[in-house]
Amino acid sequence: MSKIEPILDEALLKLQNAGLNDIETIRIEYLGKKGKITEMLKNLSELSIEEKKQFGAEINTAKTKLNEAVENKKKEITARLLEEKMKNEKIDISPAFAFPFSKGHKHIITKTIREMTDIFVSLGFDVAEGKEIETDWYNFEALNIPKDHPARDTQDTFYLEGSQNLLRTHTSPAQIHIMEQTKPPIRVVVPGRVYRNEATDATHSATFHQIEGLVVGEDITFAELKGTLSLFIHRLFGQEIDLRFRPSHFQFTEPSAEVDIKCVICGGKGCRVCKQSGWLEVLGCGMVHPNVFKSVNYDSEKYTGYAFGMGVERFAMFKNGIDDMRVLYENDIRVLKQF
Amino acid sequence: MKISYNWLKELIDFDLSPEELATTLTFLGVETSIASGGMKWTGVITAKVTEKQKHPNADKLSLCRVNDGTKDYEIVCGAANVEAGQIVPLALIGAVLPGNFEIKPTKIRGISSEGMICSEQELGLKDSSDGIMVLNPDIPLGKKLEDVLDTDTILEIEITSNRGDCLSHWGIAREISAKLEKVINLPTVKESKFTEKNIVDVQAEELCSRYIGCNIKDVKVAPAPKWMKDRLENCGIKSINNIVDITNYVMLELGHPMHAFDSSKVSGEKIIVRKAFDKEQISTLDNKTYELTDNMLVIADKEKALAVAGVIGGSFSAISDSTKDIFLESAVFEPGNIRKTSKILNLSTDSSYRFERGTSWKVAEKASWRAINLITELAGGRLETREDVNSKDNEKLIIQLRVERVKKILGYSVDEKKIANILRFLGIEISSKVQNVLIAEIPSWRNDIKQEIDLIEEIARIDGYDNIPLLAENKVVLADKQQDKNTAEFINALSDTLIGLGFCEAVNYSFAEIKDLDKLYLKHSYKIANPISKENEVLRPSLLAGLMKNLHFNAGQGTTDLKLFETGKIFDETGEHKAVGILMYGSVWQNWWRWEGTKTETIFDFNFASGIINAVLPKGFTVDNNKSPEKYYHPGKTASIMYRGKVAGQFGVLRPDITADFTNEVIYAEINADAVNIDSPAKLNFYKHISKFPAVKRDLSIVCDKKVPFEKIEKIIKQIMKSGGILKDFNLFSVYENEKLGDDKISYSLRLYYKHDDKTLNDAEVSADFKALIDKFEKDLAITLRS
Repeated sequence: MSKIEPILDEALLKLQNAGLNDIETIRIEYLGKKGKITEMLKNLSELSIEEKKQFGAEINTAKTKLNEAVENKKKEITARLLEEKMKNEKIDISPAFAFPFSKGHKHIITKTIREMTDIFVSLGFDVAEGKEIETDWYNFEALNIPKDHPARDTQDTFYLEGSQNLLRTHTSPAQIHIMEQTKPPIRVVVPGRVYRNEATDATHSATFHQIEGLVVGEDITFAELKGTLSLFIHRLFGQEIDLRFRPSHFQFTEPSAEVDIKCVICGGKGCRVCKQSGWLEVLGCGMVHPNVFKSVNYDSEKYTGYAFGMGVERFAMFKNGIDDMRVLYENDIRVLKQF
Repeated sequence: MKISYNWLKELIDFDLSPEELATTLTFLGVETSIASGGMKWTGVITAKVTEKQKHPNADKLSLCRVNDGTKDYEIVCGAANVEAGQIVPLALIGAVLPGNFEIKPTKIRGISSEGMICSEQELGLKDSSDGIMVLNPDIPLGKKLEDVLDTDTILEIEITSNRGDCLSHWGIAREISAKLEKVINLPTVKESKFTEKNIVDVQAEELCSRYIGCNIKDVKVAPAPKWMKDRLENCGIKSINNIVDITNYVMLELGHPMHAFDSSKVSGEKIIVRKAFDKEQISTLDNKTYELTDNMLVIADKEKALAVAGVIGGSFSAISDSTKDIFLESAVFEPGNIRKTSKILNLSTDSSYRFERGTSWKVAEKASWRAINLITELAGGRLETREDVNSKDNEKLIIQLRVERVKKILGYSVDEKKIANILRFLGIEISSKVQNVLIAEIPSWRNDIKQEIDLIEEIARIDGYDNIPLLAENKVVLADKQQDKNTAEFINALSDTLIGLGFCEAVNYSFAEIKDLDKLYLKHSYKIANPISKENEVLRPSLLAGLMKNLHFNAGQGTTDLKLFETGKIFDETGEHKAVGILMYGSVWQNWWRWEGTKTETIFDFNFASGIINAVLPKGFTVDNNKSPEKYYHPGKTASIMYRGKVAGQFGVLRPDITADFTNEVIYAEINADAVNIDSPAKLNFYKHISKFPAVKRDLSIVCDKKVPFEKIEKIIKQIMKSGGILKDFNLFSVYENEKLGDDKISYSLRLYYKHDDKTLNDAEVSADFKALIDKFEKDLAITLRS
């Protein structure tokens, strides 16, 4: 009866130098049906019970060891081969080779509207929509702009043929609709399209967009108006931006203010865009005029509120260095793809 | 309006520089900038031209030796008016002129120049100038220019439409007075003796609430004194003669426009204030003739109109050099009427600008006396007769101001004393006080102050918006307006999906031209009554017009494929609707090097578009036959888009005649986004259990008559699927026709998926179901299997 160790050592040695294809051959040579170790098991019957027990255990241990070694060797070689294979599979990452999937783009106006309304939504505002075809009452009268008032001069109006209707000149009529439909408290912004009957040039357009805001409650003050709008401007243009509230006049608010920011183009030194003033006018606002509350049957003793309005195109142009408003409506695909 | 800094300083004593004044006024609500004048330079001194020679290399240039009292400078000068002996402003090397123009050593045509002799324009003192500035001969040399010049700074103010009272030096002084709490020193106005006589006949009382007429005898018409001329011209008003200049001067000083007539040209004893006759004509001071309408107001004698009230005087009765006696008018006209007249005549004057914004009943009298004082002083003359016609004695406006209301609106407390002070300096008298309520009497020039809130604004404005604290608390929330939300959310989601698929968003104007709509078989429902151009003729009835314009534009720029969409309002006979328009044209994909030679180009056609439409539309939308297609679609290549069983849009291939300019088909879809605004409870989207057991696939190739639309085949399969059997899904993987099948036949290959929730299907079960489907095909649609 030969010893098991030399046979096991011999097998492990062979395995050490084996390639992937040799491994199976080695396994069969030792552990196959007629393998060297298998054969030894067959010879056990010739031994005594004591010897059988001892020698049998030895053979089994050797079998397990060899099986493990075979498996490890297989894993080791497979892993090595994979690494080598991957090394040779290096791809050219140049974008020129990439699949030309064309990305879509949101229009800069929509993008700006969403950016602005999102800030207000995070400040607890709701978002509503308004009508574009309006009546004189909603666009002017209810907003404390009587007929023949000079305030109408700045808002050249498109009238529709065959009716008393007009295209809204600002988003403010939405204030009246909302107050007619809802009881305070109100906290809402209304983005939308407005119309002015004027010739189109680099800074004017017969169609443009505004965002209207309205907050009404039992203790809404000018201080809250200032706080909220300052927060909005800082979120939109960054914490560092300088802003100022300047007294102004709108028929539907009293007191009224205009908000200027330090010119984002020249930093306040004075340039063509800010007309050398160093400041850019970005929004108008004020406390809702008691006459407006009166036209929607709100008790102006009980409720106070503030309203604001701003031009979307102005913001979009300032933020993106666009110097001609017509670019926004030309829809040149090469421009659309920049935003 | 232009305001003189020096004039203002005469009225009120303040320490602000012109720049500080401009900022202060801007923060009071009167936007102010520096129009001209003031020192905008550094390094400019006074110097004398001691020698002038011709430049050796240039005809038009001179070579000057200039002396500053101690040192000589060689200066090249291009001005024609430079002469030896002149005292001139000299900008030395290192000087900075307006516009950040720095003077550097330079060589002009080979000769170096050690500075520049300046013109008034270069110094920013005037808008234009002819040649260099020549100073008075007695001015000492070597001084800083700013120390020897007595220059005024002119401020440009822009008022808001409610503040007509600020259109004068006195008005601006009142603002400064309130801010700085300093008193105003107006020139004293003396009333002179006169005889009261009926010389005015106001026939349109509703349009003229006060008319003060004065007959002044024996005036000497001559040029106005220099100081007055300078002030008028600095403020942008042309000097005419002493009488006219005085009326303008008083207007700039006190804010009230006046008019003087040559009495010898007035026929009859009385000036009549009446409405114009229809088509009445008048020749005016601007050398034009206007035709009036019967709602305009005129100042007339018994024969003819002499002036368009409050707007412009007539040329016939104008003050001339030979004028001896004058009639001086100071009146209050109804603002709305003046505004209308000015608009209809398309004529805006300094006078109409002020009357439109409302003038003061009280200042009218003060201005009249001030003008008479100046006329007597500067043009001789004496007041003879006078009449003051006032249709109503303007009642004093009294407003109660509750101190606690100031806090309720502004959000901070303003001291009661401070409030009273602000109002008093603005000319608002606080007559008495009862329990934290101030009784304020509003002066007649403040026609913008009508109620308590207007006084609160005055307090905020004068105290300064900067003093109002910042407070940002979210106290209130509005109940959701669910209807609008559905549409908004649908549009946002659809936009995002389209962008993900490579579509770009367009934004077009809401207007269209009829001729463009005609080409697209579109009809408009809203016509603009007063368009300024054809482009604004009508409101768009569809987003197609704009998107087609964009396609044409981009194709013109060389683009061969376009995926565009737009969301916005469209206007049809039922009103305005929010819509989404989607346009597809050209290659679906750009060419790729890997496809070279292996793949034919993919061009957008109905099937591609259909795939996109089906993919981008959210739950609830389906595609169906188009029963009434829009005229712009190819009638055989269009489908309708349904939302919960109702038509919500259409898509398809545009008619070839519309797209004749393009090589490929143009696909367009338009969806009415308002269709999702159905007021119904949100449907819960229940999770569907996915069977763990494998699906069995069966392929089926069938032959059917071409006339049978595939829709019918689909319907049968879907019916079986719906019945809850083991057929779970299918797809079409081949469409095939050739002559072997026959001209009228078509073959489809379908893959069917069978599955059971609780067990693995065996062959017999699938076969039974499969056979049932084939039988139904055969029975209902005469479909056979392809051999």
